[in-house]
Amino acid sequence: MAAAAAGSGTPREEEGPGGEAVAPPPQAPTGAPGARLSRLPLARVKALVKADPDVTLAGQEAIFILARAAELFVETIAKDAYCCAQQGKRKTLQRRDLDNAIEAVDEFAFLEDYLGLSGHTQSNQMNS
Amino acid sequence: VVLRPGEDLNLPNAVITRIIKGALPDGVNISKEARSAISRAASVFVLYATSCANNFAMKGKRKTLNASDVLSAMEEMEFQRFVTPLKEALEAYRREQKGKKEASEQKKKDKDKKTDSEEPDKSRDEDNDEDEERLEEEEQNEEEEVDN
Repeated sequence: MAAAAAGSGTPREEEGPGGEAVAPPPQAPTGAPGARLSRLPLARVKALVKADPDVTLAGQEAIFILARAAELFVETIAKDAYCCAQQGKRKTLQRRDLDNAIEAVDEFAFLEDYLGLSGHTQSNQMNS
Repeated sequence: VVLRPGEDLNLPNAVITRIIKGALPDGVNISKEARSAISRAASVFVLYATSCANNFAMKGKRKTLNASDVLSAMEEMEFQRFVTPLKEALEAYRREQKGKKEASEQKKKDKDKKTDSEEPDKSRDEDNDEDEERLEEEEQNEEEEVDN
């Protein structure tokens, strides 16, 4: 999938593993015009918020801030996971890099119960 | 926090991928499994942050989650480093919302002026109440109560 330029017709060299021919990722997600592409849709975030039975109402600003926080979270965890991959001298982030980051970083402890990371899963052993 | 099976609480893959690639150096890729796990982690993050923020709202005896509840939740969750960028984003968002509101108010006024040119004074008064109206409107927009 990495070199799947044939058929797409675009002269771009960089192609994400998802196969999406999109513009290069914006560097400054703080409000630059290109950053629109890296914004989580508020409707989805709102759906998550409403999933909580204890929540009655949520203001628009709260939804917006949650979305931005989630974006920051994704950046943060990706970077932390990359540090693990670098130690393995790999250029592709693997699931186990994420597992390691979650174990290593205190702030990510809340994830341990929800992603099935407490043990070694089959997929971990199959991936190398 | 309970993730009910079958409920699509996933965030769009395309956006998640872009954010990840934006955070990493050029040439670094991410496996599908890792990307998927990060996406789920982000959903869990939102759920956890919501729950946390809701505690602050309840402490303040409010039924509506607001931005400061979320910021307090970030600190509680030990993501203090997010607080400053989030505050900046919030300020920018507020300015943008205010701009939009004023633009649509202006359109409305222009439209009214065309149809009825007898109320220039009334529209002046409305300006003062703009902030209150906006808050109410925002509350109403979110009034989709969850049937739990």
